[in-house]
Amino acid sequence: MCGRCAALSRRSLLVGGGVAAASFGTGLAQARILPQEMVPLVGAGFKPTDKDEQGIWQLMDRAEEEISGSNLLIQDPQLTGYLRDLIGHVGGPAAKDFRIYLAHIPDFNAMMFPTGFAVVFSGLLLRMRNEAQLAGVIAHESGHFLRRHMIRSWRDQRRKTDIFSIAAMAAGVGGAAGGVYLGDYVQLAQLGTILSLFQYSRTMEAEADAMGAKLIAQAGYAPIEMANIWQQLIGEEDASARYRRKRRRRGSLFDTHPSSQSRMIDLRADAADVTEPGRAYETGRERYLSKIAGIRPTLLDDQVKLNDPGATQYLIETLAQDGWNGLLRFYEGEVWRLRNRNGDDVRAGQSYAAAVAYPDAPADAWRWHGITLMKAGRTAEAKTALTRYLTMKPDASDAAWVRQTIG
Amino acid sequence: MRTWGLALALSACLPTSACVQTRQFADVQFTPPQGDYRLLVLRPDVSVGSLTTGGMVEPRADWTDQARANIIAALQAQQGQRGGKLQILERRNQLTGASEQEVADFERLFYAVGNSIVIHKYSGDYLPTKRGKGLEYTLGEDAVRLGQKTGYDYALFLHAEDSVASGGRIALGVLGLAGCIVGFCAPNIGGASQLDYAGLVDLKTGEVVWFNVVQAGSQVPGIAFGDLRTPAGATQMVDRLLNRMKPGLAVRRAAEKS
Repeated sequence: MCGRCAALSRRSLLVGGGVAAASFGTGLAQARILPQEMVPLVGAGFKPTDKDEQGIWQLMDRAEEEISGSNLLIQDPQLTGYLRDLIGHVGGPAAKDFRIYLAHIPDFNAMMFPTGFAVVFSGLLLRMRNEAQLAGVIAHESGHFLRRHMIRSWRDQRRKTDIFSIAAMAAGVGGAAGGVYLGDYVQLAQLGTILSLFQYSRTMEAEADAMGAKLIAQAGYAPIEMANIWQQLIGEEDASARYRRKRRRRGSLFDTHPSSQSRMIDLRADAADVTEPGRAYETGRERYLSKIAGIRPTLLDDQVKLNDPGATQYLIETLAQDGWNGLLRFYEGEVWRLRNRNGDDVRAGQSYAAAVAYPDAPADAWRWHGITLMKAGRTAEAKTALTRYLTMKPDASDAAWVRQTIG
Repeated sequence: MRTWGLALALSACLPTSACVQTRQFADVQFTPPQGDYRLLVLRPDVSVGSLTTGGMVEPRADWTDQARANIIAALQAQQGQRGGKLQILERRNQLTGASEQEVADFERLFYAVGNSIVIHKYSGDYLPTKRGKGLEYTLGEDAVRLGQKTGYDYALFLHAEDSVASGGRIALGVLGLAGCIVGFCAPNIGGASQLDYAGLVDLKTGEVVWFNVVQAGSQVPGIAFGDLRTPAGATQMVDRLLNRMKPGLAVRRAAEKS
């Protein structure tokens, strides 16, 4: 059955391809949604009154129960408290109603559920360079809730599939009565319906971006940082693709989100719109870095293990624009060590050597620095480095081996 | 043989345009619990929605609550007849002897294992190594520990999802039927459908000893069957799902020999 569905939609794609590309092509470069037009549609303590929305809320309450008890969540009270404070700061009128969960998933993502709880992936914390950027993502997600996107897109979907079903049936019956075959038109309408659903979804994302820019500017964060997030993401995807000798995915008619490029451009314009002359906006970089200091090694470790050297190297270099340190240098070394191609051991060795020059070098940087020196025959220096490793991490799982090695 | 049975069931469905299929699997050594046993029923996972004109299922909170209450009442009535002592959890924190988190973990483990059962026993991805072995799945030591802590012999999981054809969907079906007069006949666009499954876990061994799936659906919107929003529909569902527990293969063979 499903094979048939796929064949049908592929065929309808071919039939309607040319026309659709012409009529919906504008969808990718739609007019920018202005931040000043984005007014919240819900206030504090919102509860649904319509049957369809109540049904979705009940389902989502179950989802929240599962998510809030999931063992994928990072429960560190300092971090979760930080996220809660942030959403309470940039969440607009519903700020105090939001719940926010941090999931241990090394991916760039965050999502808002229709009942007002958000899930942020740990990979997002790695990629954000300052508090303004993180606040921007959180404000974007709050925007989805404040603009009632879930229920609006549900109703849009219901209306369009209803209209399509009725029209298709009417075309069949009417066509049969009139003796004409309208099947091709029905397929075209089907494609049109599908495309307009994706288009609607992209419009909502654009709304959330505009709303987000407005919210963080009101809270005193530099709104341009939201555009910078997309610039960083484009750079990361380019680097990852280049490394794999592929091209970064560009936007298509079937995307649920606008392309990163168009979001970045729109957000730059949004930032200019919402900036009040004379007001000072902060990025909150120091505060952000101190808040995530405890988890940053884990975030970098997760990223390195994704086995995507192109993206990881780009990420580390982007973060290092705010200054290199021992932690970043160590993980730069890890990228090459784990890739393990010809000459990678030398590159890794250089990074470890650079890492240990910083006071914040992690114990493992001393370990690998020592091992690299050992391999190079510089035994005396190697022993000093490994001794330092043991001092920093006396209970290391390989402590006995290291002790034996340094004699 | 099995394929023929399915084909036969399908062909039987067509004329009436509504059909109910059930198919159960049991551990080879399974004997349906009887007499003085203690049964724990985990919070029934119920959702009832409305099938829109365009064919989407719209969840309905009031119908779901209604259906869950009906199912719980039907379960209580049914198990009362069997002689077992039972507790039906409505929330995860209602179980004495185990924490809310333990109950949540147990539920998640079951739904993960249940999902494999559905994939490998029902959806066609049969595993050659499990062929002819009945139901060979376990929740492991955690289930045994839960049994020891709470004193229950069995745990029953129950899932039910029901969609009711909306007025618009029925009207669309009627239009499709009317089209038959002019030669465009499409009454079978799909109407109400129901999917229920249940699994029984032996808390002494941790094994999933019995599993049953009931699937009901009507091709023509407007033909109703076992609506979970009514006590009668819920009783019928609980009856279809749980009342005909068959013993395992080894037990049946032993009974035939003696």
